[in-house]
Amino acid sequence: MKNITTLLTVFAFILGIGGCTKKVDVKERVLNLAVGSKIKGMDPIYANDRYSSNEVGRVYEGLLEYHYLKRPYTLVPNLAEAMPAVSADGLTYTFKVKKGVYFHDDKAFTDGKGRELVAEDFVYSIKRLADPKLQSLGWWVLDGKIKGLNEWRKKNSALPKVNYDEVVEGVKALDRYTVQFKLSKSFPQFLYSLAMTFTFATAREVVEHYGKEFLNHPVGTGAFVLPEFKQSNKIIYTKNPKFRKKLYPSEASEEFKQKGYLADAGKQLPLVDKVVVHIMVEAQPRWLNFQKGNIDYLGIPKDNFASTITPSKTLTPEQKKKGLILSITPSLDITYMAFNNDSDLFKNIKLRRAMSLAYDVNKSNELFYNGTGLPAQSVVPPGIAGNIKGYVNPYRGTDVAKAKALLVEAGYPEGKGLPAITYDISVSTVARQMGEFFKKQMKEIGINIKVQANPWPELQKKVDTRKVMMYGMAWGADYPDAENFLQLLYGPNKPPGPNGSGFNNEEFNRLYKVASLMQDTPERTALYEKMNRMIAEEMPVIWGLHRQDYVLYQGWLKNYIRSDFETGQVQYLNMDIEKKKALLSKF
Amino acid sequence: MNIYIYTIRRLLYVIPVLLGVCFIIFFLFNVVSPDPARMMLDKHATVKQIAEMRHELGLDRPFFMQYLDVVKSAFTFNFGRSWSTRQEISEMIMDGAIPSLSLSFPAFFLATLISICISLFVSFFRGKVIDRLAVIFCVGMMSVSSLAYILFGQWFLAYHMGLFEISGYEFGFPFFIPYVILPIIIWIILSIGPDVRFYRTVILDEIYQDYVRTARAKGLSEIVILFKHVLKNAMIPIITYVVIRIPFLILGALLLESFFSIPGLGGITLDAVKSSDFPVLKAMTVLSSIAYITFSVITDVLYTVVDPRVRLK
Repeated sequence: MKNITTLLTVFAFILGIGGCTKKVDVKERVLNLAVGSKIKGMDPIYANDRYSSNEVGRVYEGLLEYHYLKRPYTLVPNLAEAMPAVSADGLTYTFKVKKGVYFHDDKAFTDGKGRELVAEDFVYSIKRLADPKLQSLGWWVLDGKIKGLNEWRKKNSALPKVNYDEVVEGVKALDRYTVQFKLSKSFPQFLYSLAMTFTFATAREVVEHYGKEFLNHPVGTGAFVLPEFKQSNKIIYTKNPKFRKKLYPSEASEEFKQKGYLADAGKQLPLVDKVVVHIMVEAQPRWLNFQKGNIDYLGIPKDNFASTITPSKTLTPEQKKKGLILSITPSLDITYMAFNNDSDLFKNIKLRRAMSLAYDVNKSNELFYNGTGLPAQSVVPPGIAGNIKGYVNPYRGTDVAKAKALLVEAGYPEGKGLPAITYDISVSTVARQMGEFFKKQMKEIGINIKVQANPWPELQKKVDTRKVMMYGMAWGADYPDAENFLQLLYGPNKPPGPNGSGFNNEEFNRLYKVASLMQDTPERTALYEKMNRMIAEEMPVIWGLHRQDYVLYQGWLKNYIRSDFETGQVQYLNMDIEKKKALLSKF
Repeated sequence: MNIYIYTIRRLLYVIPVLLGVCFIIFFLFNVVSPDPARMMLDKHATVKQIAEMRHELGLDRPFFMQYLDVVKSAFTFNFGRSWSTRQEISEMIMDGAIPSLSLSFPAFFLATLISICISLFVSFFRGKVIDRLAVIFCVGMMSVSSLAYILFGQWFLAYHMGLFEISGYEFGFPFFIPYVILPIIIWIILSIGPDVRFYRTVILDEIYQDYVRTARAKGLSEIVILFKHVLKNAMIPIITYVVIRIPFLILGALLLESFFSIPGLGGITLDAVKSSDFPVLKAMTVLSSIAYITFSVITDVLYTVVDPRVRLK
């Protein structure tokens, strides 16, 4: 009997603990975010995926950043005092670094107090990005672009220890607060690279103190502090008590002004006390936690779309009752189905056009993206110079009759004489469904498609070794410049470069070379548009969609804007604690 | 044979097994796996950068030298750093083992205990309605996908009823308990079907033996017969079934860890597979092999404990 009583007591205790689920914290201004992927580490030079880069950007900062309230995306000074002085030839950029900016306190510094940021920190950080022993994942950003840096890298790769004290002509500290970059060739996108996490400022003594463990000891100048990084299910950042004077912007694009995004104008950043990042790999726990009020904003998972958004693309009454707000924002990206242009089969432009005409992108949008995407007419997405407003690609589907006619002209009437075309996709249920849909569409004009699912690395390998006929792919912008999209079709960028289709058009390559050296001028935009139109009708790939982000955020969250470049965004976010209490009672 | 000599002899088998394991994983990695340098550099990789990265990773050295490194790390347990996350692998494993074991050990223990009790109970009613219903119930439970239990349990019990945390994990006792209760319950539900069927068969094999008839003739109660005599004699297959599964507990429960955001070893292994992270894959394979051999030795030794008739050779 005694044993049974003990057993029951233990059981009741466990159930008691289990029953005590945590209540949502409404005392502090704590921002709760959900991330769908594990974070690799907190070293800026390895932050090559969106998730790691966002985390790094909470602690570290760069010379420039994107204006939080301006669209199109506009670069503004961050750790730089002002935008740089640029030489007449566009090859020398001189920055004044802000005075009075301090690194977070850390034992790597004398007395454990963070020291002042100086120009030399940027010189060191850029060299670190180029360090051949570290093999950073962001070297592509500056590879071949800064005078003397490639030579420094090459020379040091042969040495047992990299010499950071050797002066590189292209990146120099002229005095304590002045840093100068000299480019080896015109590179108009250079300034964008200074807003990327790869080039963010790190302190040499911290890197040297922690050695290989540096990636777990982030010490930056940013709005939030993270004493130690652990690869776990949660990352907790606290407000940097010594953050410099940095105010919420007082200017905004008209759309943001009208929506009241200037209410916090002039307030000291950051606006929240703590940021808790929850790593939730699966969509269901992210969604359920969001619906419980444990997460402050979230992209709507595919499986919950229909129960959340009405056919007219508004929120359902149930979601509105909770005070949730919907944000719909076009992404700077594109999905496409690439032809292997190296194969003789797809050198036939009429075949490529016929297949594009037979593909119903609108139906695909409805089936797989809940009708949220924008059908792409060419490679450059809306929102950046080079996109041709109102342009409709004449070889976009669906026009089965025209497709069939073109197929006859291509030499394959009713698909006769064509081999079965393998369409390689990555392994996922949706990708497979998309593949089957494509197969069905092509069958209507007599083309036989064989869908082949591959693990992602395997697909990459096949593309690199040219063992593909067709494959599905998507590309997101690294920076808001059409060059970042047009490079996908630049001949010399063939695999393992980003031009997986292997498209190689002499005229396009020539124009790309010219445009890639031009500064942002109306002439360059005209050139971008010309190239965009040229490849649109060449159909090196079948254009898919420019996706749109459907993000829900809690009614108590203030200043949230969906951005393609989220680095540093959390410092601008705010929350209304009273509203949170009131709204949570409705959950 | 002396039990100690037997154990040492069996444990020495680790050496050829590890050499074989090292060869197989090295072979598979080099033949099947995609280029890790290409994976790490992702969409911006150039031929030159891939070559440089391969050099830094040591992938351009002769195969034999690379194989020797694999063998060396397997015998010294110095697995180095992950290629993907650049974290110390021993740290990753230690950090992941605690959450994994805090879920898998209690779940496994409770599932085994409950399943054996149910099996004994239904064996008592062998051939009757309760027994048949139990078998049908077990088959029914096994027919439902594990994902369905997880999705439903998380939605209904945690979100809708608010009885448990939806997901997450806190390190340290007793803070982790609220986060593992629901996954443990789901684990038990998932295990009951196959476990009860197995244990029931094992027990029924014993229940028709002569010694059971003798015990009944002597007037012993059914409870005593089942728990004292039948269970003891059924222990050998039960031990084999239970102990040999213990090494796999260390690898974690992939789906449960993933859905309940428990930062265990299951996720680490999966990430390593996805990113061709050879050092992590190597570490997990080697450790699993060692654990497997160790626990098979423990199983053999336990045979002699539960059944003195068994002799180790």
